[in-house]
This record gives sequence, C-alpha cells and structure tokens, in this order.
Amino acid sequence: MSSNIKSVLEPFEKVKDDLYFFARQAKQNGEKVAGFLCTYSPQELFHAGGYFPVRVIGKEGGTPLADQWLQQYACSFAKGVLNLGLTGDFSFLDLVVFSHTCDTMQNLAEVWRRRVEGMPIIVVSTPNLNGGDIALTYLKRELTRVKEEVEKISGNTITDANLLESIRIYDMHRNNMRKLYEIRRNNPSLLSGTDMFTVVLSSMLMKKEEHNKLLEVLITELQKVPSQKEDKPRILVGGSVCQAQGFIQSIEMSGAIVSDDDLCMGSRSYVIPPIPQGDPIEMLAQMYLSRIPCPAFYKPGYDPAGPYIEKIKSGNVNGVIFLQTKFCDPYGFNYPYLRKRLEQEGIPSLLLEVEQNQPVPEAFRTRVEAFVETLIK
Amino acid sequence: MSQRVPIRATAKMKELMGFYYMMAKSAENDPNQKIAWITSGGPVEILHAAGVIPIYPENVAAMAGTMKISDEICAIAEEQGFSRDLCSYARTDIGSALSGKGPIMGSASPKPDLLVCCNNICGTVTKWYEELQRIFNVPLIFIDAPFQYGIKDRPEAIDYMEAQLRRMMEQVSEVTGKPFDMDKFMETLELSDRAVKLWREIQDLLQHKPAPMNSFDTFIHLAPIVTLRGTQGCIEYYETLKAELLERIEQGIGTLEKEEYRLGWDNLPVWFKIKFLSERFSQHNAALVVSTYTRSFCYQAEDRDISNPLRAMSADYLAGYINHGLDFRERELTEMVRDFSLDGFVMHSNRSCRAYSFGQYELARTLEDKYGVPVLLIEADQNDTRMWSDEQVGNRIDAFMERVASKKQRNIA
Repeated sequence: MSSNIKSVLEPFEKVKDDLYFFARQAKQNGEKVAGFLCTYSPQELFHAGGYFPVRVIGKEGGTPLADQWLQQYACSFAKGVLNLGLTGDFSFLDLVVFSHTCDTMQNLAEVWRRRVEGMPIIVVSTPNLNGGDIALTYLKRELTRVKEEVEKISGNTITDANLLESIRIYDMHRNNMRKLYEIRRNNPSLLSGTDMFTVVLSSMLMKKEEHNKLLEVLITELQKVPSQKEDKPRILVGGSVCQAQGFIQSIEMSGAIVSDDDLCMGSRSYVIPPIPQGDPIEMLAQMYLSRIPCPAFYKPGYDPAGPYIEKIKSGNVNGVIFLQTKFCDPYGFNYPYLRKRLEQEGIPSLLLEVEQNQPVPEAFRTRVEAFVETLIK
Repeated sequence: MSQRVPIRATAKMKELMGFYYMMAKSAENDPNQKIAWITSGGPVEILHAAGVIPIYPENVAAMAGTMKISDEICAIAEEQGFSRDLCSYARTDIGSALSGKGPIMGSASPKPDLLVCCNNICGTVTKWYEELQRIFNVPLIFIDAPFQYGIKDRPEAIDYMEAQLRRMMEQVSEVTGKPFDMDKFMETLELSDRAVKLWREIQDLLQHKPAPMNSFDTFIHLAPIVTLRGTQGCIEYYETLKAELLERIEQGIGTLEKEEYRLGWDNLPVWFKIKFLSERFSQHNAALVVSTYTRSFCYQAEDRDISNPLRAMSADYLAGYINHGLDFRERELTEMVRDFSLDGFVMHSNRSCRAYSFGQYELARTLEDKYGVPVLLIEADQNDTRMWSDEQVGNRIDAFMERVASKKQRNIA
C-alpha cells in the first residue's frame, strides 16, 4: 500500500480506539448527538433536526447488567448495547433512535425505554412490508410523525430545504461508498477488507460531511494505483454481524481477501436506487422501502440470494463466509435457502456462528483456515 | 368440597376438531376447494367468507408437541440447516412440510393453495411463511400489523391495516376465481365477533372461586377460537362450554379438591408438559385461572367503531397482547391480578418466542416490586423437549409455592 493511502486512512482509524471520538468532540463543541441502533433509522431527519447521528454499537466484554433484563437466548448485539446503556456509557447521547425490525429489537427498545435513564427515545415504526403504495403511504405518515417528534424534542424546525440538503449529503455519501465498493470489487488488493471495514465503521461514527471529503480523497488516491494481479482467494462475507472488523481481519490473516459483503452494516445500507427530487418525506419513504430489505422484512418477489449471486459473479468471488450472530432469527431463517442456492451455483460457503461481544475465538480461525485452504488452487 | 369432575364439552370439541381436520384433509384432493395456511393472529374471516379452508400451522405444531412427535419432526428441518435456536413451531411445521410427517391422522397438513401471514403475533412468522412459499410455490399474502409501542393504538396503523385487508380480499378472490362476497363477509364478521365475546366470557367465568375450569383446560379449549372463529360451529361449541361452566359454578365444582391459591400464566404453554405442570401445581392446591396466551384470542380494540365492521376488524387485528409494548402488558397483567384474585404469576420464558419473552424479566420485576405479586419464571420451550428437566422445574415450582403461601399467610395475618 502506498504511503499516500496509508495517510489518507489515518483519520478513519480514530474510531478503532474510541468509537465515539468524533461524537465526544462534537459534544464538547456544544452539538447534539443522536444514537441510532439500525441503518433503517432515517438519519437524514435527525441530521436536518440539528443532530449528529452516530451508530450505537456494543463493545467487547461481558453483559452482566443486560443479563438481568434479557434472557440467555437474546442476541449479543442487543445485550451488548443494552449493557452500555445501563452502565451509562451512552449518557452523552441526547436522543436514541430505534427502528422496528425484528422481535428482539422491538423488545429491546421497550426495555431500554423503561430502564435506561437520561435520554429520550424515538421508535420509528418501519413497515415490515416493503414495497407497494400501501406501505409507502404508511411510512410517509410515520416519517411525518417522527419529524414532528424530532422538532418537539430538539426545538428546531425542520424545513423542506434543510431536509433536502441532508438527503443530498447522505446520498453523496452512499454514492461515495458504492464507488469504493466498486473499486474493491474489481481490484480488492488496493485496499484490504480490514481497512475497508474501518472505513465502513467510521462512516457510521463520523459526520457525513467530513466522511465525504475523506472518501473523495481516498477514491482519488486508489484510482491512481495501477491495477495489480491478485491471487488470494476472494471471500464475500454475509450474515448479521454488526461489528465485523475482528472477524474480517481473522479471515484475511488466513490468506484470503474479503473483497465484498452482504452485511447490513456494510454494503447493504449504501445500495439505494436514485430517487427523483420532490417532497423530502416522500423521497425518504421511497428510499428506505427500495433498499435491499432487512431480512426481518417481507418484500414481495424479492430473492435474498439475488444480491449474493450478483456480487459473486461481478466480483469473481471464490467463497462465502456467513458470520451469523447467534440467536439472530431473520438471518437464521434465510441461511438454509442461501446455502442451497450457493451450492447450485457451485460456490462454497461456510457458516460461522459469532458472538459480537467476544474476541474472535480460536475455533473460528481454525475453521476459516481450513475453508480458505480448500479455495486455494 | 368438590370432586374432580371432568368437563363434558371436551368430547364435543374433539369431535368438532376431528371433523374439521377430516374435511380439510379430504379437500386436499378437491381442486375446487381451496386451502390456505394462516397464522393464528391472521384475519381468517376473509377466508371463511370466500369459502377457503384455513389451516393453522401453529395449531398443528402444538398438536405435534402434545403428541410428543415434535422433536423428531424438528430434526428434519435442522438437517436442512435450520438452527435449533429458531422457533420450534416453525421447525416443526417446516419439518412437517418437507417430510409429510405430522399429527393429522398420521401425516402433515393438507397442502396449501395460498399462504396468509400476519405479523401481529411475532416477526418469526414472516420468515417462516417465506420458507413455506419457497416449499409450496403458492401466493403469499402478507399483512403487516405494526407493533404498538404505546398504550393507545395509532390511527395511521389502523388505516394501514384496513388498506391491506381490502387488498387481501382481492388477492383471495384471485385464488378462488370468484368475486369476493361482501354480504357473506359481514355475516362472518358477526359470527366471529360473537365467538370472540363468548371466548372472553368463558375465560372471565374463571374469576369465580373456585374456578370452574383450569388454564390448562383453557389451553385445550382454545382450538376452536383459533381455527374456527367466524363459523357457526365455533359459537355453538362455546355456548355449550359456557353453559357447562355456569352449571359448575352453580354447583360449586372446581378443578382441585381444594383451591387455595390462584395463579396466572404468561406466554405459550409447554405443550409436552401440560400434565406434569397441572399435577405439580395441583399438589400445592394452586389453580391456574388466567393466561395472557388464551386471552390473546379475544382482544378487541378499545375504541372500535362498530358501525364500520371492516374498520373495527382492522383495529382488532392490531389490538392483541403481544402486539403491544410493556406499558400495555403491565396494565393487562395487573388487571388480571385484580380481576382474577391472583396470588402469583407464572411466566414461561419461552426460548422459541423472543417476541413474547423478551421484556418478561422487566414485567416480572415490575409485578414483584411495584405490585407485590410473586412471579415464577420457568425457562423452557413450547415444543422442544430437549432442555426440559422435570426435577429442576418441579423444584422451582415447590419453592415458588412456598413463597406464595407464606406471603398469603402474612397478608391474612
């Protein structure tokens, strides 16, 4: 990697040591910070309402406080973030935003509301039916209600002009991230998967305006590098992991390169078809309904294997590793079908159950190494 | 002192349900008779009005559980890659669909021409029915009933439901090939409304001391309201049951020799351990007299507009216990404690059901701390026997009943 690219990556890496480095900095400047738990939270609305939206993420370690409120069979993401809510780690947040997705997130929002003190919460009732005018009408009304609630809590009026500007910034960000994904799809060795996921992580924890600037520099630098021959097997990671860095790094240490992903906190959230300019609430509603749907949602006619096969073919992927968070139902139900479809396509896959609050276990490395070996021809 | 007198109506119910399943099974070979698989909280009245026979995979899974064949059927789904951490009903049903094995006269449910999934009971059904659609390759109607976080249901959610139910009528009529009969639909809604009210009245009769029936019986008598609401047979059955319960009340017949303690139950039953649990609580002279689960099938919206039946139906299908947040659940639980004179609550922390179970620890703490109601949490599963231990659960029940008894004594003293 050129020293130029290395220095471009430095600012992104600040979040590796302290996830909320930028959030705290903003707080010190007297700004308001909103935490969101899911990429379905309409961040544009909160941005337009004067908040700096950051992703709520757990960290490594036990969850003794959350264990008092959530059963053993709750996923490690839910427990991890609830634990930090209860310890007061998130007390710097002025607002917390939940989106209705799976049963676990639904009840987590309820426990959080009743037990985590110090900040208001908003739950966005995302329709679980994705597609069609009926769902669109509902989401428009829901986003209007959320907008009014943000105005009430923040004391700021959200004008159409503000909201359109926020949408523009977020759109530009999604475009930049898609460009970066595209560059890596063609030429993954330009930027390792490990570095890519640092960029992805920082995209949820930095201001989009800043992130855009850095991304543009990064993209320009990467485009200068002549394309290189690469013989490492290319891996696509799928599944339901929210903090993928450790796992990605472990996969790459085994001799493969993670060239693409189908993760919600990865490529999925950047794929939104262009929406014609118009009423901003209508635009937002259309954008969130035309995403690759969260596996908890039902989208008529949608084939969950579609994005996998498309990325595998366009990016010459050699194998798929599913990073499945234990007790994640929506992904758990998709897995048997995805495995079957990949088999039909002749793509090897490996399922690894992960806990998000634990370091990468030794067994994970062993299984990944064995899998990667079979891909090296 | 009352003797243990069995409920006579049970035989009639078995007959009713047997007839229904026989009819459904024979319809499988009749191309003119359409069959739909539907979730327990689904808007079945639209199917009845269109002459489509509804089949409830959840009910079939529970039957497999009580017949103790669910483990074996779940294993078939697990071999296909469905994790043991997923809902055991879904695993039972998917295993049954894949293998043809099942509890209905020795085999699986009759194959569907249509699938109807309403997520007012959980999000798991969304994924489960997607899988059924892949297996059977038939149309899937998905009704999205937004979870109501607050106590008061939101009007935009009711509008959303209404629009989806109207569209469902068109979708069903595409499957039957016949225009949707609005008059028949209105009649069905009325039959359904009467059945739902009867089901509530029957459960409310258990407020009487001694309770004329036990919640373990209520679990069994639930079958018609789930599968047959909207039919005349359902009403007739519950009228018979109600009359018998009134008779039992008049004669002072309870379900225990001596009813000393009264308990509530939260979450689905542990289908394969109904007898064990019933006997264990009986040993302590404790009767289970109300459950959030069986009451889920008689929720009607609070401010329903009866002059507009479709609107009322749209609101009703949002109104259930588990489609609501914890403030609503707290209110319901405390009302049950008051109305049924409960001495404690038993909460089944059900590994299969994250929608129902997460939040129970919070509710249990609230009942204990804020209202002084003893709560027993039983960690188990509705259909998967593999982590159950008679000894462990039995000991916990014994310890809990000691706590209930000493608290009651203190209150009397």
